[in-house]
Amino acid sequence: MDTTDLLLKLRLSAGYPGKPGVLQHLALDINPGEIVGLVGQSGCGKSTLALAILKLLYLKGASAEGYVHFNGRDLMVLKEREMRKLRGKEIGLVLQSPISSLNPALKIGTQLKEAWKVHARGTRDERQQAIAEAMRNVSLPEEKDFLKRRPSQLSVGQAQRVLIAMAILHRPLLLIADEPTSALDLITQSEILKLFVSLNRNLGMSILYISHDLLSLATISQRVAVMDRGTIVECRATEEIFRTPSHPYTRQLVRALPVAPQTVAAAARAAL
Amino acid sequence: MKWVRRAAIIFLLAVALACVFAERLAPADYAHQFRDIPDAPASAAHWLGTDDLGRDRFSRVLHGTRISLLLAPAAALIASFLAAVVGGTAGFVGGALERAVMSGTDLFLSLPWFFLLITVRALMPLNVSPITSVIITFALLGCLGWAAAARVVCADARSLKNSDFALQARASGSSGYRLLRHHLLPNLRPVLYAQFWISIPVFILTEANLGILGLGVSEPLPSWGSLLRELEGYSSVTSNAWQFAPLLLFISVVSCFHLVVLDRELPA
Amino acid sequence: MSKRWFASLFVMVLTLGSATAQSGTELRFCLWSEPKTFNPLLVQDDSSETVRYLTGGVLVRLNRQTQQLEPELATAWKTSRDGRTITFALRQNVKFSDGTAFSAEDVAHTIQQMMDPNLHSPTGDSFRSGEGKVETKVLWADKIAILFPAPIAGLDKLFDQVAIMSAKSPKKERAVLGPYYVAEYKAGSHLNLERNPNYWKHDSSGHQLPYIDSVRLDIQQNRDIEILRLLRGEIHLVNSLNAEYFDKVIAEKPALVHDAGPSMDSEQIWFNQVASAPLPAYKKAWFGSTNFRRAISESINREDLSRVVFRGHARPATGPVSPGNQFWFNTRLQPHPFDQKAAMKRLEQDGFRVQNGALRDKDGNAVEFSVVTNAGNRYRERMATMIQQDLAGIGIKLHVVTLDFPSLIERIARTFNYEACLLGAVNIGLDPSEQMNIWLSSAENHQWNPGQKAPETAWEAEIDRLMRAQASELNEKKRKEYFDRVQEIAWEQEPFIYLVNRNALSAISTSVQNAHPVVLRPQVFWNIDRLSLGSEVAQK
Ligand SMILES: Nc1ncnc2c1ncn2[C@@H]1O[C@H](COP(=O)(O)OP(=O)(O)OP(=O)(O)O)[C@@H](O)[C@H]1O
Ligand SMILES: [Mg+2]
Repeated sequence: MDTTDLLLKLRLSAGYPGKPGVLQHLALDINPGEIVGLVGQSGCGKSTLALAILKLLYLKGASAEGYVHFNGRDLMVLKEREMRKLRGKEIGLVLQSPISSLNPALKIGTQLKEAWKVHARGTRDERQQAIAEAMRNVSLPEEKDFLKRRPSQLSVGQAQRVLIAMAILHRPLLLIADEPTSALDLITQSEILKLFVSLNRNLGMSILYISHDLLSLATISQRVAVMDRGTIVECRATEEIFRTPSHPYTRQLVRALPVAPQTVAAAARAAL
Repeated sequence: MKWVRRAAIIFLLAVALACVFAERLAPADYAHQFRDIPDAPASAAHWLGTDDLGRDRFSRVLHGTRISLLLAPAAALIASFLAAVVGGTAGFVGGALERAVMSGTDLFLSLPWFFLLITVRALMPLNVSPITSVIITFALLGCLGWAAAARVVCADARSLKNSDFALQARASGSSGYRLLRHHLLPNLRPVLYAQFWISIPVFILTEANLGILGLGVSEPLPSWGSLLRELEGYSSVTSNAWQFAPLLLFISVVSCFHLVVLDRELPA
Repeated sequence: MSKRWFASLFVMVLTLGSATAQSGTELRFCLWSEPKTFNPLLVQDDSSETVRYLTGGVLVRLNRQTQQLEPELATAWKTSRDGRTITFALRQNVKFSDGTAFSAEDVAHTIQQMMDPNLHSPTGDSFRSGEGKVETKVLWADKIAILFPAPIAGLDKLFDQVAIMSAKSPKKERAVLGPYYVAEYKAGSHLNLERNPNYWKHDSSGHQLPYIDSVRLDIQQNRDIEILRLLRGEIHLVNSLNAEYFDKVIAEKPALVHDAGPSMDSEQIWFNQVASAPLPAYKKAWFGSTNFRRAISESINREDLSRVVFRGHARPATGPVSPGNQFWFNTRLQPHPFDQKAAMKRLEQDGFRVQNGALRDKDGNAVEFSVVTNAGNRYRERMATMIQQDLAGIGIKLHVVTLDFPSLIERIARTFNYEACLLGAVNIGLDPSEQMNIWLSSAENHQWNPGQKAPETAWEAEIDRLMRAQASELNEKKRKEYFDRVQEIAWEQEPFIYLVNRNALSAISTSVQNAHPVVLRPQVFWNIDRLSLGSEVAQK
């Protein structure tokens, strides 16, 4: 594969003070406009990777080394100032737990406004337009009444969408979604999944979709990366993973599915 | 409970109004000594009698209330502000700075700050008008009274800093300052409110304590401290029931404050 | 019903208990603090002084009522012409409380102890007149001469403070010559004094004194409780009351209180006249001006101060000597009258004038200054507040500043960063020599301008001269002339603006007979050996 075409190419090792080696020479790459699913057991280091890409691990006291080539630059050597400009603007992140990721003291309109102001300078109208569009994109009502609500007045699904709206406000090239459906019921789950697909199609956004749920991930990803004990053990097109899983861990995952792998592969193709 | 709170608010409002119009309502100058009738009982001319120098007690209560009720919240504001800045920054930055600031705060708390207050007061220039001196006294109270609140704020700021939404804000590209100003501060507001309201009666009491030591507001200006001081001592207490009026007012106002504040803190 | 019955039973048990515990008569009163020492030479605090007065035998005693010296252990005494030697003829057949015989040896022993520099006796300090040793010469068993290196004015009166100790008794200072001896001391609680079985004094009918068998001194720091106990009849007397307590007692038991008239204590205000003080030059000029000080003095209504602040239990003060001091008070002087017109005239002489209600000096500076006093003293705070209103009458803005005591001392004695100060003076003795440390311009207690190398004003130089002259003069009449002149200069110059003399107030149970409260300490029990108890304390 030609590296110059890649949107993201990384190789990372990371660890927490009390827990070294959470990521071990983990290698991953993402093409522009591609949805990559990242699957792995709970605790294998998926969220750690998400934070490592944004160089936010320091907030948890952890450190990482390696490289993260993103859009032609190595993020690992960028200064914090530049990283700040990049976070939320070029790479969006949706955290794992929607309710606690919203600021309980602020109206969601205020939070969106705040997220917009971080990277954009413009008139009120421009801002309101951008927010309205983001709300439309995540199929949330864009009227004022809704924006005046506080996080405690939202359902989990709505909160998740608000978070996604915030993440896509600046049309990032890459959206990292960390377990965006884990807390949702099946119907809402599928809605959110569709939302990601449409974001990917309409805005051309690359998405790193993290989940421990292989099934939901398979329905939207073009490629699936399987992660085990801090490293990517297999990364191939979705269909191939299901048809011919090569790594023992992948096989185990596929075997654990309640439906036949072929059905999943077919469903995946249908969804895309 | 609702009507109790309402009554408390009405009472506080009435007191506040009476203070605002103290000049108009007071039957006499608070400093004027009617030297022929010291320690007089209540009468038509002096509703609450006169004090030991023959000054109209009602007028003094009005003006004293104004001083204390105006300046105690001002001092509380200073203290809460300092607590927010010191505690907020320490909790937010964390690490060595937090440890340093918090041990500094502990040290500050363990200081005999009442004596500190007395010392600082003694260093003040002598030729200041009573009103300036009372403002300085309360400002000092404010500057010295932040430490306990800062601890609470710091603990809160620390847990807020480690919260998911702070991480989310970081991931959206927020700088430290933006995070502090736009995300953490709104969350600290309830704590700061509570600290503010709690400080008010504390400062009123501290000023009263200073007054009892004779180190409060300088003569002839009245304050609750100097009014309560009349009750000091055995002989005076038994002789004249009207001296209790300021105490009664003081207790009512402080408990009304507590009522109102307590209700605020309960979740809506 | 049953409660009351129980209460009365309780009272009965109590009274029974106390009745059996004491067989003789017992006088009870309170000490305000723990006595710091029982060595009469080391006495400094009030409580120890009370014990010394009750137990110590002295050569001569100042009669607190007549203010004249009276013979005690000395039957006669004589001061030599040069004022350096005093000779005492001693009473014979006197014994200490433990039975040891009293002789001139004991006097010599006491004096030698007292003057021993290693002992640091405060009593001895008043005898230290100059370099050199004090000599004692035992002439006979009952005659002794004491030689001092330099003359001491009022020498004989100083012996009122010297309780004679035994040279031989194994009990040392516990063997006493006074009316009582300390039989029991329980720290923090009380002292029991029993009558001295060997006390030499007898009344005119030959009955041995004292009349009262024992004295119980309860250590009680809380004055409120003391007054309560007095009103309940649990103690017999309170030596010194303030005006509020006085009024409190008078309201309940008017027969108990005594107002003996103006005491030796005074309250005064003074201006900072220290040349190096960190004050603006124009203020120094005001404070240094006699006209200014006199004007301030005449603008203060002393009658009002006495009436309002002290509830009438004080007298406008005239000067450094209280009218309670019968011999030394200069009767030609009167307190400065309250006369703001006269005050304005004086101020106009200095170029002051009133503009829009505010007094300004000749350069246009508004007259505004602060007076410091110690926080917590209600009387001084009230006086200052009244003076504040008085001075407003001539357009002066006075700031009253209360300071904790250490800060106050710091300002008035070290940094001199103050303008005026209001404090009191407590005079124990009657003799002008006791005021040397105030009036000499070189003295540290010369508060308005202490420690001058040479007197800075003519009148201070004159006071220096007069004070030294009276100190070296032995003729009382001449001394009085000198000291009268000092009082006059003080009255004219007013370095201290004397405000009031508080009255000596005391309370004493009606069961105590022969009590004549006076202004001098110890106000009530000065004639302890002649006090007697009639019916027991209770009188409803
Ligand atoms: N702040 C931290 N300090 C120390 N160890 C941590 C910290 N956060 C996570 N870990 C450890 O790092 C490992 C990876 O954690 P991570 O959150 O990345 O897992 P995950 O794959 O996202 O799991 P899940 O699917 O449950 O979200 C875990 O074993 C966890 O115990
Ligand atoms: Mg995770």
